[in-house]
Amino acid sequence: MANMINLLMAGLATGAIYALVAIGFTLLWQTSQTINFAQGEFVMLPAFFVLAALNLKAPLWLALLIGLGASLLVLGALFKRAVVDPMLRHGVLPLAICTMALSIFLKEGVKESYSAEASPFPSFVPGGNVSLLGAQISIQSVSIFVFALVVVFALQAFLMRTSTGRQMQATAQNPSVARLLGIPVERMILYTFLINAGLVALASFLVSPVYLAKFSSGETLGLAAFIAAIVGGFNQIRGAIAGGLLLGVVDNFAAAYVSTQYRGAVPLFLLIAVILFRPQGLFGRAEERTV
Amino acid sequence: MSGSKAAEPVLRVKDIVAGYGEMTILNGTTFDVRPGTITTVIGPNGAGKSTVFKTIFGMLKARSGSVTFKGQDITNAPPRRLLTLGLCYVPQGRNIFPELSVRHNLELGGVSAGAGVDVPARVEALMERFPMLRKKSGQQASTLSGGEQKLLEIARSLLLDPQLMLVDEPSIGLSPLMVQEVFGILKDLRQKGVSVLMIEQNARSALEISDDGLVLELGRTRIQDDAARLLADPRVGQLFLGGVVGDAA
Repeated sequence: MANMINLLMAGLATGAIYALVAIGFTLLWQTSQTINFAQGEFVMLPAFFVLAALNLKAPLWLALLIGLGASLLVLGALFKRAVVDPMLRHGVLPLAICTMALSIFLKEGVKESYSAEASPFPSFVPGGNVSLLGAQISIQSVSIFVFALVVVFALQAFLMRTSTGRQMQATAQNPSVARLLGIPVERMILYTFLINAGLVALASFLVSPVYLAKFSSGETLGLAAFIAAIVGGFNQIRGAIAGGLLLGVVDNFAAAYVSTQYRGAVPLFLLIAVILFRPQGLFGRAEERTV
Repeated sequence: MSGSKAAEPVLRVKDIVAGYGEMTILNGTTFDVRPGTITTVIGPNGAGKSTVFKTIFGMLKARSGSVTFKGQDITNAPPRRLLTLGLCYVPQGRNIFPELSVRHNLELGGVSAGAGVDVPARVEALMERFPMLRKKSGQQASTLSGGEQKLLEIARSLLLDPQLMLVDEPSIGLSPLMVQEVFGILKDLRQKGVSVLMIEQNARSALEISDDGLVLELGRTRIQDDAARLLADPRVGQLFLGGVVGDAA
């Protein structure tokens, strides 16, 4: 029982991070048909922005702020201007391939310019354990879970309850009509990219203390978040949340009860099952498209 | 019926040339819309009916020619400016935000509102006028029937109190009852002094409620005349109204 609770909590913490990254996936897809295969590297990179700032003797809070700012600039605005805008004109697929190239570029770039080794990353949440129903729960896991959840709900509230949020949704659901009503569609799309950059930066700051900052750490994370987004239904934020949490929990339980060697395969089994039996995902709606 | 022909037109489209890429669709389209009238545009497929609307509303760039609204040049003006000036556009097909509530769909019609406009009050007034919208205000717009969605679109376009409404195929896919309702709204608008420029495949019914008619062919205005005279014109009857003039509608 104690073990189960531990596993569940660890799974929810991992899952919450998957969810943050998966939400970014779905947002980019909804507003600008971008399937970002560099999303994992987008989570890897902000940690190095922070490490670079720390090396310049910045205090942690400032380094985190600089990391967030640099992410918004590079992974948000610059990514949209330099990669998405020029490539999207050629179609969804060329853009997707371009993001694969970007992922390799970012990985190798960090490896060459910073280090090929894993670097420790300071945690801004307290360590230690608390006792719950006889289990020793890591405070870090709980904090990650709670923090990610608060951010997700704040984002949902922004999208649902503010006029700007609804204009963003309108842009995602029907861009040509949004334009007709005078909604600044381009600006709404930019906001989406900034939100995605914020989400990956946050995921980076939460996950790096646990798994260390390493140039290759985006590989598994990007794949997991991608699968989480598909499992949940690619076009729904609540789907991405459910998909992320489910994947995190299943992943942790599989590692403990099935086999650590097959750990990496379990999300893929989940993916195959969903595609076979519920291709629109757990919460998604079928999208029609003329080919 | 409406005022004298001499009245200053609310919309003047003059020698418009526009198209997509290499293709030219509008070849010097020219016509006027008189204030407080309903004008119906008819013409074969590919004549450029929808293209005219898109060009007027700044969705497609006019290569030459001019569009004037109440004496102001609005050629190639962006939608936001047109909406504030008093133009609105209800395109063909479904133009709602399916996953937003009916109320939020309506509110988005006020995005371009100037500082002095009380959008919530306008939303209330529209719900007063269309009780169906109030009844379903909390529902996702995708749950509305086709006709209800069209009503929602029309209501949304009225949020900024337009003086000219461009409406493209409002009756398509609607039940006969709903078509009557939509046409009723357009007649109501005319009563309030709003001008309507409409494209309608159901040309006979549309001309019957119209003051003026306009035949577009290959991107040019072939005939502009009284709607009644167009209805009686044997050429028009044969080509666009499906059969002999004087048939029981």
